[in-house]
Amino acid sequence: MSDELKQEQEITQIIHKTFKSAAVEIKRAGRLAVKLRSDLLPPFISYLKDYMQFKHLVMISGVDWIEENAFELVYHLYSYERKIHVMVKVRLDRNNPQMQTLLPFWDHAGTYEREIHEMLGIHFEGNPDLGEFILEDWDDIPPMRRDFKTVEYVNDLYEWREGREDRQDVRKTIAEQYDETIPDFDKEEK
Amino acid sequence: MKEDWGKEAGNIIANWARKHSLWVLAYGTGCGAIELPPTMTSKYDAERFGLRGAATPRQADVLLISGYLAVKTLKRVIRTYEQMQAPKYVIGFGSCTINGGMYWDSYNTVKRLDDYLPVDVFINGCMPRPESVIDGIIGLQKLITEDKAYGWIKYQKNLDWYRANQKKVIKNWKMPDYNW
Repeated sequence: MSDELKQEQEITQIIHKTFKSAAVEIKRAGRLAVKLRSDLLPPFISYLKDYMQFKHLVMISGVDWIEENAFELVYHLYSYERKIHVMVKVRLDRNNPQMQTLLPFWDHAGTYEREIHEMLGIHFEGNPDLGEFILEDWDDIPPMRRDFKTVEYVNDLYEWREGREDRQDVRKTIAEQYDETIPDFDKEEK
Repeated sequence: MKEDWGKEAGNIIANWARKHSLWVLAYGTGCGAIELPPTMTSKYDAERFGLRGAATPRQADVLLISGYLAVKTLKRVIRTYEQMQAPKYVIGFGSCTINGGMYWDSYNTVKRLDDYLPVDVFINGCMPRPESVIDGIIGLQKLITEDKAYGWIKYQKNLDWYRANQKKVIKNWKMPDYNW
């Protein structure tokens, strides 16, 4: 087990030596997860990108931990030479979520940050394009937060057609329309 | 638009000509547009019914709302529909237009297409197979022969009701007045 994960362990040791407060976990071969303090993120990403050859930013995802009153951002980085995928996890305060932008490192980080800003409400300091991106004329709270009541919003704004409340079985209506009978599936199993 | 158009359209020859050359606006609003290439090409040939794609709304007869309709798209579709020239028909494609379909709990899609645009034919399915699409087109042709497909007149007469529904969902209303 230990000689297969040699490269991952090497990376773990280097990270622990340079960034003392980072907590690295090897999930399996080729997958590392790093928990980091939120203000250390740009130097850490710059270190991984320039010195450890993690040149590809795959995605930035946002998670809403409403029970722990925090937002979590996960930065997925990939290295072509080492073929290892690193997930850098950063926790933010839920009442005032702010983060530094990664635009100076990668141009396409701007797209992910704009989407996370619109859907979760996290502000990225230094990104000039934060604004209306996908939704048009949206005046409610950011919709991917877990305290946004989707079903109530939908029931307020849109109208339903009859037939959805009682969860009517559509097979019955169609069978009546074409004068057929629905086979009894429970009987056939026996 | 004058009222005589409705009476003239009751002419049988006019209906026969219209139903055999329906030009569909080439506008894929949702995921249903993926079923249009198989329908139009040689296996389930829809061109034998006179169907062909139209490039602009002024040249189209049928507006095909293929699939879910986000509020952002609805604003553009209303403008497109009002630019089409009578007689015009709307086909609601897929179960998202009927009662929300797969996106029933989405904050951004419209659940009942009937409230916002006058629909003549609904085609059920997610996505409907090309045979169902052709079935829907034949249904529309039947409605035209029987003199029952007057969606555009219904829209004109009940414009206030449609506008009220549309404005409830679309918040930033900056559109030209409907004067067709």
